[in-house]
Amino acid sequence: MKKYVSCIIVLFLATAILAVSSCKKFLTEDPKNLVAVTNFYQTENDALASVNAIYAYLNSTSTGSTAGVYHSTFWVMAGLASDEMNNESIFTPDLDQISKFSHGPINASIQETWTMHYKAITLANIAIARIPGISMDATLRTRLVNEAHFLRGLLYFDMVRMFGSIPLILNEQEPLLPTPSPAAAIYDQVIQDLTEAEALPASYDPGNGRGRATSGAAKAILAKVYLTLEQWENCAAKCKEVINSNQYALWEDFADVFKLSSRGGKEAIFSVGFGDAGGAIIFWEVGQFNVRLLPPQLSVEGVQNSQGWQVPTQDLYDKYDLDDRRRAVTYITEINNPNGTVTDIKPYIQKYWDRAAEPQGNGSANDYPVIRYADVLLMYAEAENEIGNSAEAHTYINMVRKRARFDGVEDLPTVPDYENLSKEDFRAAVLNERRLEFVAEGQRWFDLVRTHTLETLVPLAKPGITPAQKHYLYPVPQREIDLNPNLVQNAGY
Amino acid sequence: MKTLKYFAAIIFLGIAVCNCNTLFAQATAKKITGKVTSQTGEGLSAASIQVKGITGGTVTNDNGEFTITVADNKAVLVITHVGYKLKEVPVKNQISLVIILDEDKNELAQVVVIGYGAVKKSDLTGSVVSIKSDELKAVPVTSFDQALQGRAAGVQVTQTSGKPGSEPSIRIRGTTSINAGNEPLYVIDGMLVSSDGGDMTTGVTLGPRIGALAAINPSDIESIEILKDASATAIYGSRGANGVVLITTKRGRSGTGTVTFDAYYGIQQVAHKLDLLNAAEYANFVNEAKLNANATPVYVNPKNLGEGTDWQEELYRNAPMANYQLSFSGGDEKTKYAISGSYFDQDGIIINSNFKRYSFRANLDREVSKKLSVGNSVSYSRIASTGVLTNAGTIVPGVVSAAILFNPVLPVYDSTVKGGYTFENDRGKTLGNPIADAKEYNSFTTSSRILGNVYARYKFNENLEFKTSFGIDAFTQKENSFGPNFLKRTQASQGEAAIGTVQGLTWLNENTFTYNKKWNDKHVITALAGFTTQKFQNEGLFAYAFEFPDDRTGYHSIASGLRPQKPSNNESQWSLVSYLARVNYSLSDKYLFTLTGRADGSSKFAEGSKYGFFPSGAFAWRVSKEKFMQNAKNISDLKLRASYGVIGNQAIPPYQSLALIGPYGEGVFNSSNGSEVYTGLEPLSYVNKDLKWESTKQLDIGLDLSLFNNRLIFTTDYYQKKTFDLLLSTPIPTTSGFATTLLNVGNIVNKGFDFDIRSINSTGELKWNTALNISINKNEITNLNTQTDILLLGGSLLRKGESIGTFYGYQFDGIFQTDEEAASSPVLLGQEPTSPNPAARAKAGDRKYHDINGDGKIDANDRTILGTGQPDFTWGLNNTFSYKNFDFSFFFQGSQGNKMANFNSLDLLNFTGQNNVLAEAGLNRWTPENPSNKYPRALSSGSLDVGVFSSAIVEDASYARLKNVTLGYRLPGKLLAKAKIKSFKIYAGATNLWTLTNYSGYDPEANTYGQSTTLVGIDAGGYPQAITYTIGISAGF
Repeated sequence: MKKYVSCIIVLFLATAILAVSSCKKFLTEDPKNLVAVTNFYQTENDALASVNAIYAYLNSTSTGSTAGVYHSTFWVMAGLASDEMNNESIFTPDLDQISKFSHGPINASIQETWTMHYKAITLANIAIARIPGISMDATLRTRLVNEAHFLRGLLYFDMVRMFGSIPLILNEQEPLLPTPSPAAAIYDQVIQDLTEAEALPASYDPGNGRGRATSGAAKAILAKVYLTLEQWENCAAKCKEVINSNQYALWEDFADVFKLSSRGGKEAIFSVGFGDAGGAIIFWEVGQFNVRLLPPQLSVEGVQNSQGWQVPTQDLYDKYDLDDRRRAVTYITEINNPNGTVTDIKPYIQKYWDRAAEPQGNGSANDYPVIRYADVLLMYAEAENEIGNSAEAHTYINMVRKRARFDGVEDLPTVPDYENLSKEDFRAAVLNERRLEFVAEGQRWFDLVRTHTLETLVPLAKPGITPAQKHYLYPVPQREIDLNPNLVQNAGY
Repeated sequence: MKTLKYFAAIIFLGIAVCNCNTLFAQATAKKITGKVTSQTGEGLSAASIQVKGITGGTVTNDNGEFTITVADNKAVLVITHVGYKLKEVPVKNQISLVIILDEDKNELAQVVVIGYGAVKKSDLTGSVVSIKSDELKAVPVTSFDQALQGRAAGVQVTQTSGKPGSEPSIRIRGTTSINAGNEPLYVIDGMLVSSDGGDMTTGVTLGPRIGALAAINPSDIESIEILKDASATAIYGSRGANGVVLITTKRGRSGTGTVTFDAYYGIQQVAHKLDLLNAAEYANFVNEAKLNANATPVYVNPKNLGEGTDWQEELYRNAPMANYQLSFSGGDEKTKYAISGSYFDQDGIIINSNFKRYSFRANLDREVSKKLSVGNSVSYSRIASTGVLTNAGTIVPGVVSAAILFNPVLPVYDSTVKGGYTFENDRGKTLGNPIADAKEYNSFTTSSRILGNVYARYKFNENLEFKTSFGIDAFTQKENSFGPNFLKRTQASQGEAAIGTVQGLTWLNENTFTYNKKWNDKHVITALAGFTTQKFQNEGLFAYAFEFPDDRTGYHSIASGLRPQKPSNNESQWSLVSYLARVNYSLSDKYLFTLTGRADGSSKFAEGSKYGFFPSGAFAWRVSKEKFMQNAKNISDLKLRASYGVIGNQAIPPYQSLALIGPYGEGVFNSSNGSEVYTGLEPLSYVNKDLKWESTKQLDIGLDLSLFNNRLIFTTDYYQKKTFDLLLSTPIPTTSGFATTLLNVGNIVNKGFDFDIRSINSTGELKWNTALNISINKNEITNLNTQTDILLLGGSLLRKGESIGTFYGYQFDGIFQTDEEAASSPVLLGQEPTSPNPAARAKAGDRKYHDINGDGKIDANDRTILGTGQPDFTWGLNNTFSYKNFDFSFFFQGSQGNKMANFNSLDLLNFTGQNNVLAEAGLNRWTPENPSNKYPRALSSGSLDVGVFSSAIVEDASYARLKNVTLGYRLPGKLLAKAKIKSFKIYAGATNLWTLTNYSGYDPEANTYGQSTTLVGIDAGGYPQAITYTIGISAGF
């Protein structure tokens, strides 16, 4: 029996000693499938991945509504809170409120916009703080930091226009309850970030970085910052730099702008890519353009999951010349039935749909154009008009109008060139031109706010709805105010 | 049989010897040898033998044998043994005795298993409920945790889904946590098992996940003890805060081997269907909705449509279930065995759902020597289950929702389209054909689990014992699913297949010393000290693909998918090191003290906060043992108990305190060169470097009272559980980049009473026993670390001062009866008379909501508390009768005061004509001719009153349920002898036969969110529970 006793005692003691001596190790967590922060931000790949993480919040994300910054809410809100779009989705009261200018601080879309912008901003802050300390190729290191500067500048530019005075978070470690900075300080930071980003490369090869932030993208966004601040000379100068860079041109046919084959092409200055690369990445990275905008009636043509949640206002549709190429490309008004008959429907937006490439319509792989060359031409025209260079202004607006005449074969007798408009008339003309050109591109609310025309133009498209002064900014989301008493609600909310 | 004869011979010889001895009776001291046995002849070890009136004595050895010296023939031996009645045997002139003890059915003498030991019930200081196998067997269940429903005071069991094999939700004395788990700890034969269903699934299985405990065969269980208060649970330290469920499986006894065969067969059917509009009524209603919105009616002649399709009838079926079990048990003096095999097969009441289980168990015990014994418990089980998607679903709702909402005008089948089924609901509400979905979207899950441990026990001497054990709990689960391309659900994917596997292993080593000592007949000490280590690890792999042009190969060929998706895998592990100790001290059998402590070190917490110490103390006073109680003849036993302690909760996922970088975002840069994929890496959480245990301080004051010779036994406890350092996923400003972080903030208090009354109403030929238990619990969040409410899904919220599971929404105030009233009353945003959309303006027949803040409009500020999903109390009432060879029992169980958010009603009371509605509501909807103050008018478009969470859908879900009725008959002995079998019982029963409730949905117990802590009482198209009729036999050989 003794041997059992000693056996057991030895076993017990051995276990106990083993356990005690290695307890600390036994209880230390060391997940193999993840990397600790302390081991990260050390290699070139880490640097690249930390900048890619910022881009990854511009399209779709892996949780919640799967919506990133430019997934849909951003451009849907800009369209609804203007004379561009109406909301037909009864399950999104938050969008309904924005469309009717009855939104308040508790609004899921406004909250999402705030959350996603700050998410991407904090990742840009990490990249800007950490990458300079990584030993790697110096050129690439500078480029990556500047890409982060570009993205942070772009995101704060969105935020300051939508919310005004907000916390200016710039470092990796920041207080949990930050205080807001004046809008002017935000603009200063935006200009500083974008100016740094002007050092970015002019271009990348297709398939090897095409789509990343470029010098031209920084200058174009900077031009829009100056346009918003009504610094016309600065705006015109930055536009001219983009134009003279010879990196960009308009597609001859407006129909080509939204072809999948045109993605990253000559007119794209900065776009956000969507699509799952044929299943290489998660399926919800596909875009929502078709799901949201195409008419449900298209199901008879084999199109799937087209919901038609947001529709153009009739006023917008009626503003086009009948043969304006942009009207035919931007809208769908007919459904082809299998029996060969055609059903007329009210206009829906179809411009993002490349029928030939994506016959089923639903998961779109089209890009969202944050800024494209036509925008630079129209900004330049607008700035030159304000400066007083009427001839230059007319030249550039007419470049955009000329394209609208081309039906794919020849120029039609429509959308005539503007001639000798007064400064005042030109202002209205360029604002209208932007409206016709940039449907569902997230521009309209910003344009109306910038030109102080929100309360005059919206009632024309939405009778009975008159925006108020407070609608020149969105309310700070209630959740954020509740959690951070340092925040201040915008006037009127 | 042989053994019995052998014992009979001994007894005969014994008597013969006695008779001889009478002749030589003498008055001198003599030595007596003897054996103490049970009625089955099994030798009883450790029985105490004393000579009446003299201190000292002896105990029997492991075979039940003893030797004692007595002064003379007048001596009387007093034999006591735990679980048996005290027996006095006059020695007379005998020198060799066989003493047969009668089992003591008295509850107080019964042994109760507690953590790392067992005590007599009378010696308990803590609050422990014991449930025997008879009670568990009464209701045919897939998983034993379901059988606990209504059986124990302080234990609330909610069967949240009727899916075969799905897990119930169990709360012992309330909900103590918000973000950490609330399910109790399960210990099976000493093995602390994995019981978190989330660890065992990859999410491919359709519908609710299969319960982690469904792998355990309920028929193998001997008894279940539920530890409730701090004194009882402190020995499980950081995992005891939610209570502990100890499961003891059947072990062999020495004696004749027995073979038992049990079988039952049952038929299940849906308890009741919802009464909905038929095709003609529905068409009429859709037309009216259109007319009210100035649109063209849809159906030309509604009357001609008749009954149409009853989608519920198509979805539900009468489903069989069956269980077969063969057990062998027995042993000799040194080796005991219990071996069983079982096959369980249950079809679900929804087509294409079922659950099968094969399970095997072998429990062995061997006495190697007088000092050393070894043994094991090993079980293996395999589950195979097909599932259908119930509950909410993403975009396309589950089959139950679809069956109640689908247009009844449409037929099930449509041969003109691919697949042959009517594709979708054509009236606007996104619904797939539920029959196509249930039949064609296949989900097949298999899992295997080995649960086993081995132990060695060494007795150094009669006082000191050492036990070491090593156990594993290993599982693998494989989940396959395939949806063919012609379903509504697969419209976007064009066919989808997924395969997920997960495998996990827990190992546990426990080493304990136990010391027993009795001094001066007054002081009894039992002390326990131990050291344990445990580690859990699991890993999962998940692969899926979209776009299957050919449906034939299903998930068997995932490579046939034209759009393969990125595979993913994950791993997780945690470990725990513990030191535990307990001292029980009994003074004069009157004053009982228990001190318990466990120090746990867990990998899940931050460096520097890894260890926690969880102590408790308890005192019990057996008042009835006091002299002054001697005359209180009617009081058989009276005990007062008090305990206090601090117990922990560590049920959070691992790695929460680490700053980790992981892949999260990805995307494409598109160009003429196609899509260039990029992936990002980023911090995964806002790190809390101080994360530590959640702790619960629990006070328990209890009273045990037995009256009239133990015929009425009453137990009651008052408890108060205060949880602090709550592990709370706390909202933080998103300027941090994150929306929440896990903090140790917040407090929850649970207070309540447990009542348990058992009575023997009549003995005689007709035996009648009654057991009643009531659990009253009040839950309150006392600190949430934020002034604002935390709004959750499903109209639930967390608010300081309210209980977890509180509903928050608008107060439904009836229906506007005139347009003028509607125009002049507070209305929802957009319904006002100046609304830009004339169709949206409130009119007669629209719902009124209460303007709580009186600001003349109805908006988010007019939401109010609408009740809670937590019941005021739950209860169980069991009656058993036996008369001659018949026995009969009926068991009621219920819940009182809990509300249910009936999300089905958001649609079933939505009169846009997009989907079917409740018949009662649809036929009594508001019309100018037939005004209603309950149901609004039909209106096909423009209504803004859609999806509004209000008191109109929050219902009282109190219920009383006849959970089970059973009638059994035992074959009489004579017949048995002829048939050469030991026992034979035949029985018939019914489960869920009758339910009294005002709840309008299928089942007042449903919860779409299963075991969720914060989302309780939410019904959104869940799998209904069934009524089950069973017949069964039990035969012993």
